Amino acid sequence: MIGLSIMVFIGMMIVGHASTEQLDLYGYFEPQYTGVWHEENYYQFHTNKLRVDLRSDAIEHTELGANVIHTLYCGKKEWTMLDFLPERITSSIPPEMVSLFQFTYRDSFFLDNAYLRLSFDRFALTVGKQQISLGSGYFANPTDAFNVKTALDPTYEQPGHNAIRMDIMLSHRLQLMALYSPIEMDWRNSGKLVRIKIGLGHFDISFLGNEMPHITTDFQEMRATRERRRLFGADVVGELFGLGVWGEGVYRFPEDDGDEDFYEFILGTDYTFESGLYSMLEYHHNSLGKSDYRQYDLNDWMRFFTGEARTISRDQLYAFAQYPATDLIVVGSSVVVSGSDRSTVIVPTVQYNPFENIDFTLMLNLYLGDEGKVYSSRLGNGGFLRCRMYF
Amino acid sequence: MTISPKDVRGVSRTVLVLTIGAVAALHGQNEMTGKEILQMMTETMNPQQSQAIMRMTIVTTSGQERTFEYRTFSKNGGEKSLMKYLKPRRVMGQAILMLNDADDIWIYFPRTKRIRKLATHAKKQKLEGSDFSYEDMGASNTFIEEYETVRHDDEEKENRQCYTLELTRKPESSAGYSRIMLWVDKEYFVPLVIDYYHDEDIELKEKQLICSDIQLIDGIYTPMRCIMQNKLDDTQTSIEIVEVSYKVDLSDEIFTEMGMQK
Repeated sequence: MIGLSIMVFIGMMIVGHASTEQLDLYGYFEPQYTGVWHEENYYQFHTNKLRVDLRSDAIEHTELGANVIHTLYCGKKEWTMLDFLPERITSSIPPEMVSLFQFTYRDSFFLDNAYLRLSFDRFALTVGKQQISLGSGYFANPTDAFNVKTALDPTYEQPGHNAIRMDIMLSHRLQLMALYSPIEMDWRNSGKLVRIKIGLGHFDISFLGNEMPHITTDFQEMRATRERRRLFGADVVGELFGLGVWGEGVYRFPEDDGDEDFYEFILGTDYTFESGLYSMLEYHHNSLGKSDYRQYDLNDWMRFFTGEARTISRDQLYAFAQYPATDLIVVGSSVVVSGSDRSTVIVPTVQYNPFENIDFTLMLNLYLGDEGKVYSSRLGNGGFLRCRMYF
Repeated sequence: MTISPKDVRGVSRTVLVLTIGAVAALHGQNEMTGKEILQMMTETMNPQQSQAIMRMTIVTTSGQERTFEYRTFSKNGGEKSLMKYLKPRRVMGQAILMLNDADDIWIYFPRTKRIRKLATHAKKQKLEGSDFSYEDMGASNTFIEEYETVRHDDEEKENRQCYTLELTRKPESSAGYSRIMLWVDKEYFVPLVIDYYHDEDIELKEKQLICSDIQLIDGIYTPMRCIMQNKLDDTQTSIEIVEVSYKVDLSDEIFTEMGMQK
């Protein structure tokens, strides 16, 4: 499948070369400075990210799209995950295993997306490495088995995924989507998804079923196992009493006796006041999470850090507000509260758009939780200043 | 031959325009009620179908100019509309679909391929930081459905003879302005000046729209340039029509989620 993505990319270059006026080249450069206070030490960490997009629609009904990302890291590049974990957990790790929890940010250059899209009035086929975005939730998307959002910056773009995707418009507001994401060319262990989306009045309602491989790592043993998860879910977005409302959820259907069944859902609402103040509230429940923080173990923390698990705690509340302070500056803040351990993180943001194609984002993260809780101050308070220049 | 509800609607609109036109001719334009004038203006400003490229220029509080260019498609007299940004790079490919007179709004973000549905309260939000809200841009018949209309004495505006209309928000309406003053060109039935009053203060003028450079395109009088001035923020946004065509046959598939992504 990686070969397929590269072929799409090369094909694009050829098409572009033959018809440069129909090849669009664009992207952005994004330097970001991050500072963290941790255990009375201050660390700085800097990234320079360049994203270059290519797009061509030289052939009728056909779109070729691709982008590469080159990221350079400097500052503190070597980290030990154990530094962020509660002492009761780190003290139980044998000294010979400590090095296994260290990681280094290395400069990277990779093909993020490369796809070919054939589209007609009522049918579209997309093949290659592509963005997959599912669900209506803002803070988390339980129906999206491909991506895991970060609580602090949930809208940041996600990496592309190898897939063959088909969209069929059965009627004006009835749409079928089928997706196959090959993994090691093994049908059984590859990802499969079917979704039907219906428009009813001011509501969009989706039902979906998917079968996805899921990797679970035992960090005590440093051993990874792959299991197949079959999930059924639904997603709804619309309006009630003037408020925007949405919800999405999934249930894991156990196939064998040893399979663990679980469910996860998110409910949200939003409103814009006359002043322009935008406000949003979401409640997220994950039955795989734990309701007592004293039960969080090494695996819970590490699976959360590595994205294998969406959350550690079972219940979370997410609040977000944003206000256009001037025509160029938007100020906002999000607050995430773990309902299970009562810890909180506050994330104030300022977005400034001084020039047409330049954005600045200042985001702080203030962890207020006690040691051992999911939003513990041990995770390090700090923030980042990000500039994005589009070309 | 079968006649669909859509055809009936099209015929009804035509009959309505002809009827109002006939009324105007028989009784003289001075006899027209405010509601009839508003209906004529709405018909003129919302042709059955249209396709255009628009240029939006925002003058910020710091005096800088921001220019956006987008392609628009509109059908059923503005009941369905789709905007696709062409410039600048920051928003290129972003699309906004508005159905049912902007009661249903979807936004498509090309970098993440995500489509978000917005609730109607989002109509109050500014479009890309401009002085136009989604409501200003999308709703074709808001003036008729959400406001009571009273005709005042004719006045001269922008060196043209105009009908003067005062629109007051209906009690049950959730429209974004408490009151609107409209000056409609007596010859072209195009609004030349619109004053928008604050949602909570019927005397506080919030914004003013001035339309100019009226040209006859495909048989329809079209203001080629409109400027929205925000009286409270001291900013302004202009919209110029770069090109427009009303003789188009747009398929319904354009106004769908798949259409947004093309």
